[in-house]
Amino acid sequence: MLQTSNYSLVLSLQFLLLSYDLFVNSFSELLRMAPVIQLVLFIIQDIAILFNIIIIFLMFFNTFVFQAGLVNLLFHKFKGTIILTAVYLGLSISFHVWVMNLRWKNSNSFVWTDGLQTLFVFQRLAAVLYCYFYKRTAVRLGDPRFYQDSLWLRKEFMQVRR
Amino acid sequence: MRADSGPRLEEGPSRPPRTLPPVPSQDDIPLNRPKKKKPRTKNTLASASLEGLAQTAVHRPSEGSEPPTEELEEHLEAPVQKRQKKTRLPLELETSFTQKKTSSPSLLRNENGIDVEPAEEAVIQKPRRKTKKTKPAELQYANELGIEDEDIITDEQTTPEQQSIFTAPTGISHPVGKVFVEKSRRFQAADRSELIKTTENIDVSMDMKPSWTTRDVALSVHRAFRMIGLFSHGFLAGCALWNIVVIYVLAGDQLSDLSNLLQQYKTLAYPFQSLLYLLLALSTISAFDRIDFAKTSVAIRNFFALDPTALASFLYFTALILSLSQQMTSDRIHLYTPSSVNGSLWAAGIEEQILPPWIVVNLVVALLVGLSWLFLSYRPGMDLSEELMFSSDVEEYPDKDKAIKASS
Repeated sequence: MLQTSNYSLVLSLQFLLLSYDLFVNSFSELLRMAPVIQLVLFIIQDIAILFNIIIIFLMFFNTFVFQAGLVNLLFHKFKGTIILTAVYLGLSISFHVWVMNLRWKNSNSFVWTDGLQTLFVFQRLAAVLYCYFYKRTAVRLGDPRFYQDSLWLRKEFMQVRR
Repeated sequence: MRADSGPRLEEGPSRPPRTLPPVPSQDDIPLNRPKKKKPRTKNTLASASLEGLAQTAVHRPSEGSEPPTEELEEHLEAPVQKRQKKTRLPLELETSFTQKKTSSPSLLRNENGIDVEPAEEAVIQKPRRKTKKTKPAELQYANELGIEDEDIITDEQTTPEQQSIFTAPTGISHPVGKVFVEKSRRFQAADRSELIKTTENIDVSMDMKPSWTTRDVALSVHRAFRMIGLFSHGFLAGCALWNIVVIYVLAGDQLSDLSNLLQQYKTLAYPFQSLLYLLLALSTISAFDRIDFAKTSVAIRNFFALDPTALASFLYFTALILSLSQQMTSDRIHLYTPSSVNGSLWAAGIEEQILPPWIVVNLVVALLVGLSWLFLSYRPGMDLSEELMFSSDVEEYPDKDKAIKASS
């Protein structure tokens, strides 16, 4: 059974990483006095996303549903989050690599092309969706029903099998 | 140990006294002790041989006080002991009744000469065990640290006869205030009363815990975020309105003074773009929360039913896309230098091409954001996420209650 204190700790860590992500997405363009600052911000952001993926998977492993072997049910329920987080990580890394590559020599130069602008829009949109889905999943995993056998679980299992 | 000792014991009576087992050596002592606990053998064992055997085993520790010759005498005078036993029997019954809870192993060792005693004790102990079992488990647990009156021997009821034979004295015991608790692989003395207090406190905290479950944490976080979202909706609408007013004021009548707009607005463009993204992201997430966007079928149905909240989230998402698409232009404004300067991004005449669409997009974003805010404020309490995510519990609880009632 999930302890309330543990869950609070994990949830606050997840929200900390999410808010860092949101902060960098919002204000990284302003903090480009030196290219190194952006580089460090981007690296920490990507690591934060990776950490969030690890944490959410650890939470999955901790559920009764997973331990009972119903991995498929968990995947079915949270596939949106898993796929979106992976896509967002990919988009983020590629955008960061591209921007840093262009700005490394002169951080205050105008580097935008149509391709970069498109990637930027998709990355920022994915960030919002990722934030929403991830937050929802983290909050949902606090439901005690995931940590014990119940009628609800059996019903869900039957629905997935159909 | 018992398996091979059993047959030996029962063989005893059938054998003639001549084939007495040899006087046990030091090694045999531990082997012999458990035998005495067997009540079944005690009644049947009248043979002097076994009595002698057991007695020697018991007396071994106190050998120094008694001459070894006495032992030999006992072996030889088996019939005499039989008689002695008969006379002592009622006396032993008495002691076993009075000293209910005296430590039985020590008693057995001491009063080995009288074999009937343990059987009697077993008879007496039985009803007491039964009563213990009927007690509720909680009570037993609560009393675990307490002192039972039966455990304390206050009076020494040893007859002079016993004292002469049984050397191990049963002293007067006292209730000790200390309890030894194992902490980090060491036993440390702890005060009994304090320990009882702490265990009671643990019980209390265990009772308190269910009132604040993980679901409550999740629900409170969800509600806190909804509050942040509510703030950001209003703040975003105000910001967008202020932004568009500033742009139109700086641009002058009929957008005639665009160079003035660029010069004044260039420091403001990028920070505002960043702030707009942050607020739009928060507002979009909050609006998605309200319509439970993850349940796509419900969200789409609500959208086509022209539900204000669903419309608001759609408008927020559109505004977000439009705002993001202006990132390139915002950066260009941010890096504005007059066209006369070398390497300027703003060649002469390019202002009229770039700025009007940018202003229109900003106006549209402000309108969308304002409309969303109005739509949301139409039904501010709506939150499908909370209803759908935590609703099935409400369905489940009546079932549980029913089950509890049925079982009771």
